[in-house]
Amino acid sequence: MECRVLSIQSHVVRGYVGNKSASFPLQVLGFEVDSINSVQFSNHTGYSHWKGQVLTADELHVLYEGIKLNNVHQYDYVLTGYTRDTSFLEMVVDIVQELKRANPNLVYVCDPVLGDHGSMYVPQNLYPVYKNKVVPVADIITPNQFEAELLTGKNISTEKDAVEVMDLLHAMGPDTVVITSSDLPSRLGDRFLVSLGSQRHVRPDGSRTTQRVRIEVPKVDAVFVGTGDLFAAMLLAWTHHYPNDLKMACEKTFSVMHHVIQRTISYAHELAGPGRRPSPPQLELRMVQSKADIEDPAIVTEATVIS
Amino acid sequence: MECRVLSIQSHVVRGYVGNKSATFPLQVLGFEVDSINSVQFSNHTGYAHWKGQVLTAEELNVLYEGIKLNKVNHYDYILTGYSRDTSFLEMVVDIIKELKKANPSLVYVCDPVMGDHGAMYVPENLLPVYRDKVVPLADILTPNQFEAELLTGRKINTQQDAVEFNLLSLVVLYHHPVVTVVKPDGTNSSQKICMDIPKVDAVFVGTGDLFAAMLLAWTHHHPKDLKTACEKTVSVMHHVVKRTITYATEMAGPGKRPSPAQLELRMVQSKADIENPAIVVEAKVL
Repeated sequence: MECRVLSIQSHVVRGYVGNKSASFPLQVLGFEVDSINSVQFSNHTGYSHWKGQVLTADELHVLYEGIKLNNVHQYDYVLTGYTRDTSFLEMVVDIVQELKRANPNLVYVCDPVLGDHGSMYVPQNLYPVYKNKVVPVADIITPNQFEAELLTGKNISTEKDAVEVMDLLHAMGPDTVVITSSDLPSRLGDRFLVSLGSQRHVRPDGSRTTQRVRIEVPKVDAVFVGTGDLFAAMLLAWTHHYPNDLKMACEKTFSVMHHVIQRTISYAHELAGPGRRPSPPQLELRMVQSKADIEDPAIVTEATVIS
Repeated sequence: MECRVLSIQSHVVRGYVGNKSATFPLQVLGFEVDSINSVQFSNHTGYAHWKGQVLTAEELNVLYEGIKLNKVNHYDYILTGYSRDTSFLEMVVDIIKELKKANPSLVYVCDPVMGDHGAMYVPENLLPVYRDKVVPLADILTPNQFEAELLTGRKINTQQDAVEFNLLSLVVLYHHPVVTVVKPDGTNSSQKICMDIPKVDAVFVGTGDLFAAMLLAWTHHHPKDLKTACEKTVSVMHHVVKRTITYATEMAGPGKRPSPAQLELRMVQSKADIENPAIVVEAKVL
């Protein structure tokens, strides 16, 4: 398999978020990963302390220029995640547009990180950039419910609403949309949350078809960091292997997540001791230890095809 | 296995040198790798063009401070390689000293990158820093012949010369096509082995970084069996290099010399060899 990904995300010295979360699993699956580190921090910002440096839009451009001058700016995928800076995000858009001109088949996988649980946790001025510039050039997006609602201006109270929101997101650009988590009630009870996916295809005769799936995901009683980054990377990998089967791609992706999270939570509790809440360092994803699950995830979550 | 490595090396967006070369193979072998990127460049400096940014000694200290403030400055290994800046190297030394105080069993694996084939390719003022400050802290050292001669002030003309080292560490000496390993075993004598390595007709970049990382891994798994540790390390190198040269030659086409871009190590494709290298080179105990 000769497949090259350009991933533009954070780097942390310790732990698994951003490029640290995305690179290893993609490499283990045989992808060549070129990575531009948008920041270098000691660790993620959920620890008591964090220190480091950020890359400016100009410095990002300089790095890209180096790649371009050597004529090696050919990529099959671009992957982006958490960003805090509008000029940086706009530079990313320019780069994606140029890379798409160099390779019209390029697939841009974008996690439009804006916020969660009803509030934004990035500067507000990122919202119009995502809505008007980023999402229109994205091919695969992985918003949570809050982000999906924010981008479309429509609330999700029922599965029907979710389907309409995903159709609105398709109309904005991306052919593949996965709402990674929602408040919708699961048929398996309140220990599960609901995720939904939608993929638009054009048939050989030119007509359009949309495959939609619902996934019931077991809830875990802990706050993880870096799981969204791992999710987007694994969705990239599994949609690459199953480009016309969103059900299968989602089953593999959600199953990998489950294995990594289970291993992490077990280890974290062991380290923390009985009756204690694990700390952020203890909750770092057990990425390296999950290699076998990443390579060949046993399917533990089933996706249901919905109309 | 619960083993944490702090690797302070370069990062390139594309290709495999420095941390890009060391991290994936170590992770594949189950090591937790914390990585501080001393630079971020588009690609290594053997390409026609390269662009990027460097980390200052102060910025390195700031990153370390973050780790320390969270009380997670516990490492089993440190790994360093190519450096161009004396103040950066001196900050690395300070960090290692502190980490060794936090964990006296810490093993510092050092590639004292200074030059090759008779010439230095880093600033000259790095030599005294390596000789007087860095190497004394190193537990495992991987100089080539030129670097070993620079550090000891002696010429190495025969294998016997190579073996007569005053450095109290595991020294793996690359003297194409021979690797000589010297390990003090607590007495005045030392374990010595030697290996013949097939030459390859190409210039690779990042192989030294991969070598040091794999030596870290295999000496970790075979702490009392230097022969096996070295055989595995050199064998991994062989598999990766062979796969790379085959691919590069294919990409370049008949009669053409492969480019730096084409010669990037086939790291991801070599995962199985990294995990479990078939032994292709035998080490001789001297």
